[in-house]
Amino acid sequence: MTQTDCDDALASLYQYLDRELNTASSTEIRSHLDECSGCFQRFDFERRLKSVVKERLSEEVPDEFIDRLRLAIAEEIGKGS
Amino acid sequence: MAEQVDFERDAMQYTRQLYSAAMRMTRNPADAEDLVQETYLKAYRAYHTFQAGTNLKAWLYRILTNTYINKYRKESRRPSEVDLGSVEDLYLYRRLGSEESAEAARTTEDRVLDGLVESDIKTAVENLPENFRLPVLLADLEGFSYKDIAEILDIPIGTVMSRLHRGRKAMQKALWDYAQSRGLLPEGAEKP
Ligand SMILES: [Zn+2]
Repeated sequence: MTQTDCDDALASLYQYLDRELNTASSTEIRSHLDECSGCFQRFDFERRLKSVVKERLSEEVPDEFIDRLRLAIAEEIGKGS
Repeated sequence: MAEQVDFERDAMQYTRQLYSAAMRMTRNPADAEDLVQETYLKAYRAYHTFQAGTNLKAWLYRILTNTYINKYRKESRRPSEVDLGSVEDLYLYRRLGSEESAEAARTTEDRVLDGLVESDIKTAVENLPENFRLPVLLADLEGFSYKDIAEILDIPIGTVMSRLHRGRKAMQKALWDYAQSRGLLPEGAEKP
């Protein structure tokens, strides 16, 4: 393992977490993470942060709004027939 | 082509996601509701043009995004000139990991990830300039692929990647500030 391996892995960090890498490249990253605990920690932190962001950005939709929305769509459908 | 009679069944499953994105775009419930409703009505009217089997969710987001941009974004249309300043990679991790021991660093990481509340994350995203905020929302809230984001926002994939990268770093910087003001960091941790 060399510094270049770590730099390469970090350069692809988001693409890896976003599942944008092809199979060969992800396999390469995965084996680097098995050999390099420093990179593993970094990747793991970013992965956890990404899931915290997703989970805490989500909103409950007010029930009354769902009702209004269904009504508006129904009216629109009524116009067409 | 898709049948309009199927619209409600097919499209209503995305209400919560569209509403969450609309809240982060408009920053208030009344405008978010208007935006989502307008999106659904536009989508319904154009549903006969929708190719069944293609990505309905991405199409709805495209309508949502364009409606938002046309209706609510009255300010400057030159967002590419917005400068986020330079923020180093792994901004948050590097600051949390500067503990004496790996164990202490891990404890700090956990405390920060658990302790940042919804409003911290929401504000950090809402405060991003729009051309960074939209890719971050589409990727991190919705999990869209870079290709879908490029199609939704009408920008090249390379631009999606660079805005996402810079937007996430700016968000981390904001989260560091919130972590600090909430006292989630160890004694003596200072902004470098
Ligand atoms: Zn490494």
